[in-house]
Amino acid sequence: MAGTPVPAIIVSEQSAVMDLVLTQIFNGLQYGLLLFLAASGLTLVLGIMGIINLSHGSFYMLGAYLSLTLTSLTNDIFLSLALGIPIAFLFGAAIEWLFIRHLYQRDHLQQVLLTFGLILVFNELQRIIWGTFPHSVPIPSYLSGSVKIFGLMSYPIYRIAVAGLCIVLALAMMFVIQRTKIGRMIRAGESNREMVEVLGIDTQLLFRFVFAAGVTLAAAGGIIAAPIDSVYPGIGESVLITSLVVVVIGGIGSVRGAFVGALLIGLADAFGKVFFPQFATGMVYALMAAVLVARPGGLFGRAA
Amino acid sequence: MLSLPRPLVAVLLIVLFVGMLLVPFFGGSYAIKFATRVFVLAIFVVSLDFLIGITGLVSFGHAMFFGLGAYSLYFISPETMAANALFAFPAALLIAGAVAAIIGAICVLTRGFYFIMVTLAFGQMLFSLFHTSRIAGGSDGAYINIKPAISMFGRTLLDFENRFTFYYFCLAALAAVYLLALALTRTPFGRVLQAIRWNEERAGALGFNTYAYKLLSFTFAGAIAGFAGVLFATIDGYVAPDLFGWRQSGIAIMMVVLGGAGTLFGPILGALLYSLIEEVLKTASWVGPIASHWSLALGLLLIGAVLTFPKGIAGLFGRKEGLKVSADQPHITRKVEDARRGQQLEVSGLTRRFDGLVAVDNVSLNLAPNLVHGIIGPNGAGKTTFVNVLSGSMKPTAGNIRLDGENIAGKPAYVIARRGIGRSYQRTNIFLPFTVRENCLIAALARHPSPWRLRSGIFVKQESDAIAHALNVTGLSTRADIRAAHLSHGEQRQLEIAMLIASGARLLILDEPLGGMGPEETGRVMALLRSLAANHTVLLIEHDMDAIFGAADTLTVLVEGRLLAHGKPEEIRRDLAVREAYLGRWGESAS
Amino acid sequence: MTAPILLAEKINTYYGQSHILRGVNFRVMPHETVSLLGRNGMGKTTLLKSLIGLVHPRSGSVELNGMDITGLRPSLVAKAGLAFIPEDRGIFPNLTVAENLTFAARGGRGTRPDWTLERIYSLFPQLAERRSHWGNQLSGGEQKMLSIGRALMTNPDIILLDEATEGLAPKVRDRIWAVLRQITSTGISSIIVDKNLGDLLALAHRHVVMAKGEIVFVGSTEALKSDEALIYRHLGV
Repeated sequence: MAGTPVPAIIVSEQSAVMDLVLTQIFNGLQYGLLLFLAASGLTLVLGIMGIINLSHGSFYMLGAYLSLTLTSLTNDIFLSLALGIPIAFLFGAAIEWLFIRHLYQRDHLQQVLLTFGLILVFNELQRIIWGTFPHSVPIPSYLSGSVKIFGLMSYPIYRIAVAGLCIVLALAMMFVIQRTKIGRMIRAGESNREMVEVLGIDTQLLFRFVFAAGVTLAAAGGIIAAPIDSVYPGIGESVLITSLVVVVIGGIGSVRGAFVGALLIGLADAFGKVFFPQFATGMVYALMAAVLVARPGGLFGRAA
Repeated sequence: MLSLPRPLVAVLLIVLFVGMLLVPFFGGSYAIKFATRVFVLAIFVVSLDFLIGITGLVSFGHAMFFGLGAYSLYFISPETMAANALFAFPAALLIAGAVAAIIGAICVLTRGFYFIMVTLAFGQMLFSLFHTSRIAGGSDGAYINIKPAISMFGRTLLDFENRFTFYYFCLAALAAVYLLALALTRTPFGRVLQAIRWNEERAGALGFNTYAYKLLSFTFAGAIAGFAGVLFATIDGYVAPDLFGWRQSGIAIMMVVLGGAGTLFGPILGALLYSLIEEVLKTASWVGPIASHWSLALGLLLIGAVLTFPKGIAGLFGRKEGLKVSADQPHITRKVEDARRGQQLEVSGLTRRFDGLVAVDNVSLNLAPNLVHGIIGPNGAGKTTFVNVLSGSMKPTAGNIRLDGENIAGKPAYVIARRGIGRSYQRTNIFLPFTVRENCLIAALARHPSPWRLRSGIFVKQESDAIAHALNVTGLSTRADIRAAHLSHGEQRQLEIAMLIASGARLLILDEPLGGMGPEETGRVMALLRSLAANHTVLLIEHDMDAIFGAADTLTVLVEGRLLAHGKPEEIRRDLAVREAYLGRWGESAS
Repeated sequence: MTAPILLAEKINTYYGQSHILRGVNFRVMPHETVSLLGRNGMGKTTLLKSLIGLVHPRSGSVELNGMDITGLRPSLVAKAGLAFIPEDRGIFPNLTVAENLTFAARGGRGTRPDWTLERIYSLFPQLAERRSHWGNQLSGGEQKMLSIGRALMTNPDIILLDEATEGLAPKVRDRIWAVLRQITSTGISSIIVDKNLGDLLALAHRHVVMAKGEIVFVGSTEALKSDEALIYRHLGV
């Protein structure tokens, strides 16, 4: 019947559902971008150095807690980021020098065990320093509040900023890898690390740099994500597992794969939360299983 | 390969066992409960060592089967009476095994890092399933009101509420599981698993369906882990989702590695050691305030152990690598009259492309049986790629390969191997940690490659004859008990050939078998290959022009992936195109 | 008496328990081209790897330009002036030809004019043509040339070339030998491994033959040519 006005209640229900779905999609994308930050570091370390680093999630946690401490000192998340990045980098380099560099000739099993030991140590250190209660980190005032997207729904400005920052960092990473000398060394190291050494490049230093950079990416993720969720012990573990799933889906060593994989997972997670709230996490693993059956080496990786 | 524990170790284990028999008489009820827990954990980690140490599959999700076994007891136990252990325990085992088969079917498709991550992810999936849902009390866990008992015909024979009884039951179970696992490693199935651990590609090329073997191993290990889980649930009568978690899996790996992966007894010691350390760090009075941060100390200990004792406790009992005189004398050369003929190979239009580079370009070739066929050509001409496609380690982009009339193009390597093709590799590709005899044994076992071989049984004589013959004919009999890694380069090349002979392959493809051999050895090997041609078809890639021109019946010249010429050696030598493209100066001087 | 540019004494290298190099003594003088001959598996590659530091000898010493480089990691040995070109060339497939060439470029010690990108391109015109191609898009011969060019760009004092022309078609081989003649005439020392006895006899000043991990012959071109028994026994030609 043309011309009959639709009752107001139905309209608002429809737009409520739309809001929910759109919000979830945006959340999923933003989560995916954050996940990409963390996972790209992991895939680089795995691809170039051949090291499984289970403590990768602990560096995300480090970032989150650094955010807590530094923001309470500086009152600004971006200052915290600026200060936190060098701290995380130095700490990562120290860990590589102390422990990780002994793992290069060892098998997977020993890498897994040693980095598992690191998780235990880091978790306890976190408890000792910051305690077991959850904390929250304030959003900077100039980024608080929401904005209307497409005139349809409100979405928090800070989350948009986070997504934007992740994209900027992703582009910067791509630039470094494709256009700079160190990027060339990284790309070369991925295909033939012995030859890099033979040509006169100290791969020990290169690896230290790659490891420190990789975990710093995770820490950066932790820093900027802190105001969104609260900061609590164990925050690193789910990031680790999900990052591992991203690397499996995307393919070891592939930053492009990590990007696609992370976004896929972000969206799958959002999809799951909307339609199967009880089994949202299961969606992610189902996705991984599907990819593995179709392409055992991951979407962009070499065949397993 | 894994052999029975050395006398020193066996004595230690027996002493430990006897000691454990006596503990309940001297220790209090806490000690009994502690020890029972250790036994159950030990069962769990023995199953994990079967996966990691024997099969080479590093699983980071093994605890999920432990958890499934535990939760099975919860689901099976009635509210108000004891479950019948005769039913509940096997049920837990079967449930865990069934889930392991399903999850394993997916996981075992992957290798290396991917396998670790996939198993981790599945473990987490199960964890989150039980943790976030309302199943069995969710994250709070659930209680089993009455512990199971063994009853038959309505009479209770063993009541597991009784700590004493359950203690001995678990101890017996541990001994049984250890002996079962040990026995399994000595069956053909178990030996092939070990071969897969050290060189899966080679095992597949010999004819074993490595996927099936790995899946069976995964299922078995999962079932035993489930058994451990149901026992664990019986100790406390309480189950929680943490049982599935990756931390549990990680601790299990810790116990396996600290104890000594691949020894089966080492992880038992690892479980004991870990439990003692945990107990001391948590409760000893001198630890004081650190006690609440005991996992910090554990983490540091773990890191230190990985850095300084990679082989674990069992590594301290390590056997010295050396000559072990074999107890049984090798059979005297009884010429194994092989009434079989070699096979006929017809290749048509075979092509293999890699991303725009055509490595093998439309090659068509007929190779008659019972002859020595040489393949020559410059490096990069596609010879090895051609051979890879023939043997199945690569799929062709186009073309057919007919072996005695049957088209085998594109089939997996292990299927092609079972049809009778055997190959040796340019870079020695053997099982380095195994002895010469053990390498040949694996090859001989490939004659009957089914994973269900649990008894050496009826084929033993045929196999040991094949091994003895292979060793004799390649001159390796006196080196039979030396580890392959310690052989000289030339001896390793000969071992490659011995494995082919032992495997009973009928079309032999040899990729540069003469590498590193002096004139006498070269002569011997070429004579051997000629004698093998009597009942095999031999395909030979070589660079040694003298040897190959002297021994081959036909020669095929491949250049840049294309077949340039094929015919008798004299014809090839006179062929101008070949001379120009490849033989160059050599061809001129020889004419 | 000028000092050798490379001096290896009593080298014993093991792979696990296998004794691969047995008391090897080896020397290269400045401006000298030495050929390293012998069948597969006799230890030639292991010797080269022991010199660059990819494997470390259990005993013995190696000196480069008078500096003790025994046990140093390969990057330090390379920076000291030794370039190793492995048998499989080691071209980075995910870098372009130009990126491969400039990857580790550094200046030399000044005893010779430096190799620059332009000079390399004029030495290998095919590489100039394909400078933006990816490493894995080159043919075998082009990859060999690229690996040589890349090594030259590090301006070493001595080049170790493992299998100069293996697997290459005759025409390409001739080109490589011509290039090697040009390179060695600039005064750079080299050790060259190859199976083409004739070409090596023409190019190298001194010849070293290895068998089963030991040196069985060191001598001039004339001395080697006249020892037919040795040629047959150890080189199989």
